[in-house]
Amino acid sequence: MATEETRSGLADPERAVADREAAGRLSLNRARYRRFRTSFLMFLAVVGPGIITANVDNDAGGIYTYSLAGARFGYSLLWTLIPITVALIVVQEMVARMGVVTGKGLADLIREEYGFRITFLLMLMLLFADLGNTISEFAGLASGMEVLGVTRYIAVPLGAVFVWLLVVKGTYRFVEKVFLVACVFYIAYPLSCFLAHPGWSEAMTATVKPSFQFNSGYLSMLIGVVGTTIAPWMQFYLQSAVVEKGIKLKNYFHSRLDVIVGCIVTDVVAFFIIVACAATIYVSGHRDIQNAGDAAVALKPLAGRAASWLFAFGLCNASLFSASILPLATAYYVCEGLGLESGINKRVHEAPAFYALYTGLIAIGALVVIVLSESKQVPIILLSQVINGILLPFVLIFMLRLINRKDLMGEYRNTRLFNWIAWTTCAVMIGLTVLDAFSSFLPGHAAP
Amino acid sequence: MIYFTELQNIPAYDAKGDYLGRLVDLAVDPSQNALRVAAYHVKTPNKRLVCITYDQIQSISVRQIQTSVPASNIRCYAPDEGLLKVKKDVLDQQVIDVNNRKVVRVNDVDFDIQPTNGHSELRILAANIGFAAAIRRLLQGLVAKHTIRTLSGLFPSRTIPWEFVNLIESDPARRLKLRISYDRLAQLHPADIADILEELSRDEQKAVIESLDDETAAQALSEIPTRMQAALLESIRPEKAADLVEEMPPDEAADVLQELSPETSAEVLADMGKEEAKEVRELLGFEDKTAGALMTTEFIVVGESATVEAAVESLRHFEGPLETVHFIYLVNNDGGLAGAVPVARILLADSTTPLKGLSFEPLIAVEAETGQNTVVDLFHKYNLVALPVLGPKGHLLGVVTADDVLEVVVHRR
Repeated sequence: MATEETRSGLADPERAVADREAAGRLSLNRARYRRFRTSFLMFLAVVGPGIITANVDNDAGGIYTYSLAGARFGYSLLWTLIPITVALIVVQEMVARMGVVTGKGLADLIREEYGFRITFLLMLMLLFADLGNTISEFAGLASGMEVLGVTRYIAVPLGAVFVWLLVVKGTYRFVEKVFLVACVFYIAYPLSCFLAHPGWSEAMTATVKPSFQFNSGYLSMLIGVVGTTIAPWMQFYLQSAVVEKGIKLKNYFHSRLDVIVGCIVTDVVAFFIIVACAATIYVSGHRDIQNAGDAAVALKPLAGRAASWLFAFGLCNASLFSASILPLATAYYVCEGLGLESGINKRVHEAPAFYALYTGLIAIGALVVIVLSESKQVPIILLSQVINGILLPFVLIFMLRLINRKDLMGEYRNTRLFNWIAWTTCAVMIGLTVLDAFSSFLPGHAAP
Repeated sequence: MIYFTELQNIPAYDAKGDYLGRLVDLAVDPSQNALRVAAYHVKTPNKRLVCITYDQIQSISVRQIQTSVPASNIRCYAPDEGLLKVKKDVLDQQVIDVNNRKVVRVNDVDFDIQPTNGHSELRILAANIGFAAAIRRLLQGLVAKHTIRTLSGLFPSRTIPWEFVNLIESDPARRLKLRISYDRLAQLHPADIADILEELSRDEQKAVIESLDDETAAQALSEIPTRMQAALLESIRPEKAADLVEEMPPDEAADVLQELSPETSAEVLADMGKEEAKEVRELLGFEDKTAGALMTTEFIVVGESATVEAAVESLRHFEGPLETVHFIYLVNNDGGLAGAVPVARILLADSTTPLKGLSFEPLIAVEAETGQNTVVDLFHKYNLVALPVLGPKGHLLGVVTADDVLEVVVHRR
C-alpha cells in the first residue's frame, strides 16, 4: 500500500506545499484588489437605506408641494430648505443609530416597550396614512403619464402590476439595481430646472437669506413643505432597512454618512423643483396648479417641451419608486409590530397577513385613482395627512424616549447637547405638523 | 385556565380583608420551580410595590387575590435578576417556539390555578400567540372580562406549551440565573436553527450562539447569510469566533473571513488551530467566483495502489463531516489525481479489491481558476455530486460539492 492520508494530504507533501504557495503568491495581488473592492462595495451596500428613504420622501405629494411653493411664492420659501435639512438629518440619524445598535425595527421596539395596544393603534393609523400616500403616488403617476400622453386607465393598472411583480417576484439584487437606477433618474429635476433658465443668483440669495411673509397662505405653504418632508413612515422604514442590511456598529460611520447624504439629496431635489417652478410659473403670473402634472404642463410654454417632459418623467419615476416601497414597508412593519409573519422571502401561505396588506394597499391605491374623480380623491388624501400629523408627534416622542434608554442604547444614547437639539427639533416639527394637519380643513390650504 | 390579561390589575386583599393594591406583574423563580408563580407584585394605592410570595396566597380568581397573611407580613418589592417576570420578560417579547421552529411574539400567557395544601398556586401553562390573545390585549380593561372571553373565543387561538418556549436573554449572567438553556434548540437541524437566528437581532443571535455547543453553533452559522455571519462573529469574543470558524467547513470559513474586517480576520486566524488556519488561508488565496473559492479542502485521499480496506480505514479516521463524502480520491506517486472512487462501490466490493479498478470513469476535474459558471454547467451536464479541483501541476487541491453549487445557483436566481 502506498501513501494513505486523511484530509488533504498528498503524496509529496513538501512539493504540494510549494505548489500551493506559488498559487497563493500568484493570487496575492488579486486578493488585495478584492479586499479594496469589497470594502468599496460594502460602502455602496451600506449606503442604500438613507438615500432610498430620502428619495421616496420626494414622492408625488412632495413634488406637488414643492412645485406649488415655487409657483405661488417664487424663491421666497427656498430658505426653509436648510433648516428642514438639518431637522431631517437629526431625526433620521437617530433612527439609523437605533437600528444599528439594537438590531431591531422601530415597530419592534415600540411593541416591546409600550405593549400591544399602543402598537396596534400606531400601526392602524400608519396603515391609513400610508394608504393615503399610496393613493397620491398613483395619482402622481396618472397625472405624470397624462402629460407624456398615456391615459391613466392604462398607466395606473400597469404601474400597479409592475410594482407588485417587481417586489414579489424580483430578486433582491435586481430590485436593488432598479431602485438605484430610479434614484439616478431624480436627475430629471435639476435638468428641467436648468432648461427653465432661472435667476441663479437670486435663487441662491433666497436660499441663504431667510425672509418671511405674514399671511396665511405663506404660512400654510411653509407648514406644508415641512410636513411633506418629515413623515412618520420614514422613521419606521429607515430603521427596518438599516436592520435588514445588517449594518455593523463598526460601519456606523458609513451609515451616518448615508443618512446625511440622503437628507441633503432630498432637499437638493426639492430646491431644483421649487426653482424651476419659481422661474417659470411664478414669473408668468398664472400661479395656480392643481397637481404635479399641471406643473409639468405649465413649464412647457415657458421652458420648452423638453423641460416639461423631464418634469413629468421625474414625477412618474418618483411615483412608481415610492409606490413600490411605501406599501411594502407598511405591510412589513405592521406585521413586525403585531408579531405576524412577514417578508418577501416567505411564501404567501406562510405570511398571509403580510401579502394581504401589501397587495391590498397597492390594489386600493390604484383603484381609487382609476375609479374616483380627482375631486373625490382629495378628501381621502387630506384625511391621511391629518392622520400623519397626529401620528408624527407620537412617533417622535417614542423615538426620543427609546434612544435615551440605557439598557437599549448603552453608550450610544443621545448626548445632552444632541438631546437638546433633538427635542427642540421635534417640538418644532410637532407644532408645525399639527398645525398642518388641521389647517388642511381651512380654506386656502396649500399642500395636497 | 386563566390568562395573564385577566389577572393584570385585579385587586389583592389581605387576611383581614383590607385592600392591598392591584396586581402588576407575576414572577417565576426558575431556581426553585420552573412553572410555579413564586411572587405576585402588587402596587399599593400610594404607588409602592409590594411582593406577595406564593405561600402567602389563599386564593386567586379573575376577580381578586386573597392572601392568608396580614398586610404587615408582606414585604416590600426588591428587584431580583433571578426572577422571570411575566410582564417584563415574556409579554410582547420574542421567544423561540422550539416545536414549530419559529420565532414568535408573545401576546398573552396562560396559567392554571392549582389548589395546593389548602391554598392556590398559579402555574404557567403556555405562551399565547394567537389572534384571540391579540383581541384580549386590545380590549383588556375596556370591556367586561366575560365579554372579552366570549369575544376572543370567536377567534383562533394559538398557544405554545411552556416546555417548548425558549426565552431569549442576551445577558449571560441572567441567562444562568433564569436557567435558560438551549438544549432543545440544539437538537434541531442546523438549517432550522439558522432560520431562527435570521429572525433575531444581533444581541439575541449572540445569546443563542454563545449558549450552543461549538459544533452546533458553527453548523447553524454556516447556514446564515455571510454578511450576517460576519456581523455576528465581529460581535463575539475573538477566541470564541475562532473556535466557531474552526468548526465551520473550510470553504464557508474562508468566505466569512473575507467578509470580516482585516483586523478581526487576522485575529481569528491567529486564534485558530494551525491545521485549520492553514487550510483556510490557502482558500483565501483564490479569486472570488472560481472553483478554488467554492471548493472545500476536507476530502479523503489515498494512494492509487490502495485497497478497499485502506479506503475504509481512511474513512474511519476522517475528521470532516462524513455525510458530505461521496468519493475517495486516488493520487499517484507525484501527487497527481489518478482516480475517484464512489463510496457506494467501496461498500459493495471485497476488502482486498484494489481501488483503482473501482474508479469512476471518465474522471472529470477542473482547475482552481475555472469560473463558477463553468463548474455549475459541469455539475448539470454530468449529474455530478462532487468535482475535484486541481492545482497547476495536476495536484488535487480540493473538492467542489453539490451543496456549494446549489448555493451559487440559488443566489444567481
